[in-house]
Amino acid sequence: MGNTPNGVFEWVLFIAREYSDLFITGTIITLAVAVIGTLIGFVLGFVMGIVEDTKIDEDDNIVWKVILGLLKGICKIYIEIFRDTPMIVQAMIIYFGIRQCGFEIDPIAAGIIVTTLNTGAYMAETVRGGIKSIDVGQREGALAMGMSPVSVMLFIVLPQAFKNIIPEMVNMFLTNLKMTSVLNVIGVKELFLQAKTAGGTYYKYLESYLTIAVIYFVLCFVFNRLFLLLEKKIAGKKDYVLAVEHMDNNE
Amino acid sequence: MKNEEIIRVEELSKSFGEHEVLRKIDFEVNRGEVICILGSSGSGKSTLLRCINRLEKPSYGRVFFHGKELGKSQKEINSYRSKVGMVFQSFNLFNNMTVLKNCMECTRKVLHLPKEEAYDRAILHLKSVGMAPYINALPAQLSGGQKQRVAIARGLCMNPEVLLFDEPTSALDPEMVGEVLNVMKSLSKTGLTMLIVTHEMGFARDVSDRVLFMDKGYIVEDAPPEKFFTSPDNSRTKEFLSRYMAG
Repeated sequence: MGNTPNGVFEWVLFIAREYSDLFITGTIITLAVAVIGTLIGFVLGFVMGIVEDTKIDEDDNIVWKVILGLLKGICKIYIEIFRDTPMIVQAMIIYFGIRQCGFEIDPIAAGIIVTTLNTGAYMAETVRGGIKSIDVGQREGALAMGMSPVSVMLFIVLPQAFKNIIPEMVNMFLTNLKMTSVLNVIGVKELFLQAKTAGGTYYKYLESYLTIAVIYFVLCFVFNRLFLLLEKKIAGKKDYVLAVEHMDNNE
Repeated sequence: MKNEEIIRVEELSKSFGEHEVLRKIDFEVNRGEVICILGSSGSGKSTLLRCINRLEKPSYGRVFFHGKELGKSQKEINSYRSKVGMVFQSFNLFNNMTVLKNCMECTRKVLHLPKEEAYDRAILHLKSVGMAPYINALPAQLSGGQKQRVAIARGLCMNPEVLLFDEPTSALDPEMVGEVLNVMKSLSKTGLTMLIVTHEMGFARDVSDRVLFMDKGYIVEDAPPEKFFTSPDNSRTKEFLSRYMAG
């Protein structure tokens, strides 16, 4: 073989080219699991954050009190469990747990479930914090004019809380992008598992993992910049235009 | 004309834990009246207003609106609140919305007015407080006095039967107190029913039909301003006024 690669750099290029379809599939699966898991996790986190923030009022009817109390209890236990155990262990338990119950489950689906539940647990606390960061005065201002507590949450509190926790949400997504690598233990063919496969044939593990390190880096770097741009756009303009048509003499 | 009762409270009491803030308050608000509530800090003035708007739940006692007792259901409370607006010490504007949206949010979401009508109302009331040119500004871009004027316009947009003011000028620096008091003064001439907790004695004297004085959770004086400021019945009121006159 006249053109056997020489040195780490050439091997990296060689592996990347030789197994490009593995790395491409890996990237797609990594992205899919991270994006879907994070998005559903956000929804879960918002629902739980709101449940946690809702106070049980003594004047509420008994059915609502029981439901809310139950929901709060479930949220608390769930959040505690998922925050206090490693994702890799959760992945194993969920995947093998489901299989042992007699259900066939695709590793990717199991991976999305794990990512979702993990994200939900962390986001619930973030959302609760975000809600708390909106001063009570704004809520009272809306309530005092007859807005229902649900509308106050939807139209006044959440839009602002959401804006405040965007950096946290971006963080969570980037973490998830990297954390999907642990899902190789349940056979999700994401980047890490693909690198393991690619490295095996020539015993070039270092070169193979270097390849995916670059891919992870580029993904995170690009997403981070994109979200920063988005954040700036959402922040809006800093000045305002006087509405001259409504000016009169005494202004 | 002044005897149509809008709000009446009976034996209204409120405790925070062991601490009794309101003790069996009885009084009524009639249509068109401008009532100022005076008293030293901690006498329960703000809590009384907050109980009337149900931002605090009274521990005991009842609130009547047009002779009908206010119930406990959220729906009933919402509809009541939409007719009893409130202006706060710290303005409580919606920080993520422009001045215009602040004034349209509740008319749209609570009264379900069509957009054009909500807009017209917002402009009308913003004009009356001199804030119409600022419709595109966010609260953070305004001075305290401007914020409070917007908050008053926002309250007026609901066409409330009563507007409650909870120390509307206490968070303002002296230069801005005047602009807000002027707005309130001209409002008092429109026939709007107003219930105002304030420390502004001169203002209370000028605009109110009745002055209430609160002490330790009781209303100890309820008199027209002429009588209140010259010959109050209660000794605590006299003491309070003499300190004010001296200072």
